[in-house]
Amino acid sequence: MNINVSETQSLAGLSDKELARMEMNIARKYLNRFSWFMVFWCFANLACWLSLWPLTMTGILPLWAAFPIATLNVILCYLPSHDAQHSNYAKNGDLRWFNELIGYISTIPLVLPFKIARITHMEHHTHTNDPELDPDYGVKADSWWQAIITGIKRRQPGQPNSYGAVLQRLGDDPVVKRAGLEGLLQSLSFWIIICALAWSGYALEAALIWWLPRYIGSIYISLMLSWAPHFPNPERGRYRNTRHFESPLGNILVMGMEHHIVHHLHPGIPLNWNAAAYREMKPVLDARGCRSESFHG
Amino acid sequence: MMRSVLTTLGPWGPVFFGVGFLAPLISTLMIDWSVTPPLGLSTIQTGLIIGFVIGLQAKLRGRWL
Repeated sequence: MNINVSETQSLAGLSDKELARMEMNIARKYLNRFSWFMVFWCFANLACWLSLWPLTMTGILPLWAAFPIATLNVILCYLPSHDAQHSNYAKNGDLRWFNELIGYISTIPLVLPFKIARITHMEHHTHTNDPELDPDYGVKADSWWQAIITGIKRRQPGQPNSYGAVLQRLGDDPVVKRAGLEGLLQSLSFWIIICALAWSGYALEAALIWWLPRYIGSIYISLMLSWAPHFPNPERGRYRNTRHFESPLGNILVMGMEHHIVHHLHPGIPLNWNAAAYREMKPVLDARGCRSESFHG
Repeated sequence: MMRSVLTTLGPWGPVFFGVGFLAPLISTLMIDWSVTPPLGLSTIQTGLIIGFVIGLQAKLRGRWL
C-alpha cells in the first residue's frame, strides 16, 4: 500500500484500528525477509577484524592504520547480532543454528555475549524508557557530548552494571543462568587472551586492535543506538518512546538508527529495510503523533 | 560458589588489569620510545609497579582518571 502526501491529511481522522491495519499492511512487505546484506555485513566485518591480527603481527599493516579500522569493525559488529537477537535470520527451522551463529560470532570484537545481549535487549523493548527496568536507560543525557561523558563514567570500575541487574532480576530462569555463565566465560576469555597477547610481546596489537577499539566502539554504539533514537527519554508508549531523527552524519555513520522507530514498532524487519519501511509508513506514523526531530531534539 | 568467587575477586579487576595487561603494555612502550627505567629496574619491573599502582588507585577511587 503506497500512501501519497495528499492522503496524509486525511489519515489524521482515521480510527486506531484503521491506522493499525495500514501500518501492518506496509510492515508485512518487509517482515520476515532474509537479509543477505546483514549476513554479508557480519562475515565481512569479522573477517576484516580478524585479518588485522596477522597483518599487523607480520608487519604488513602498520598499527596506526589498523587502529581506526579495528575501531570501525567494533562499531559495525553489533547490528548483525542485533538482527539475530530478534531471530530475523531464522525464527525456527533448519536455519535456526545460522541465526544463533551470527548472533554469537558477530560481536566477538565487542565481546558482547549473545544471550545476555538478547535478554537485555528484549527487556529494553518491553520497558523502553522505564528508569527502573530499561537496561539502556543509563545512557540518558541532555546532549550528545554529555552522552559520551556518561558513557565513559558508566565504564569506570565499580559502576552499577545495568545488564547484570537485569540478569539478577530475572535470575531464576535457567536460560538467564546459562546466559550469565556464557557471558562470564566470554568476558574471562577476552581478558585472558589480551593479557596473554601482551605478555607474549603483542601488547600494542592487543591494545590497538581490541582493547581500545572496544572501549571507543562501545561508547559510540551506546551513543548512536541507545541515546540518539530515544533522546530525551521521557516518554513511554508504542508510538512515542522512540523517534525518527534527521542525522547530521548521514545514514551510514549513524548506522541507520534515524529510522529506529520502525524497529521498535516492527523488530522483525531487518535493519537494511527500516528506511524503506519508514518512508512508506511515515504518513501513518505522523497521524499517530510519532516524533520526527533533529539529532539534538 | 561462583557468585562468592566473583564477589570477592570482581572488585580487584582493575588491579588484575593493571598487572596483567598494563604492565607489559607499559614495558613495550618504554622499549619502543627508548625510555630508560629508573633505579636500575628493568622495563617489565617498572611496568609492573606502574600497572599495579594505576590498577590499585582505580580500585580505591572507583575511576581510572
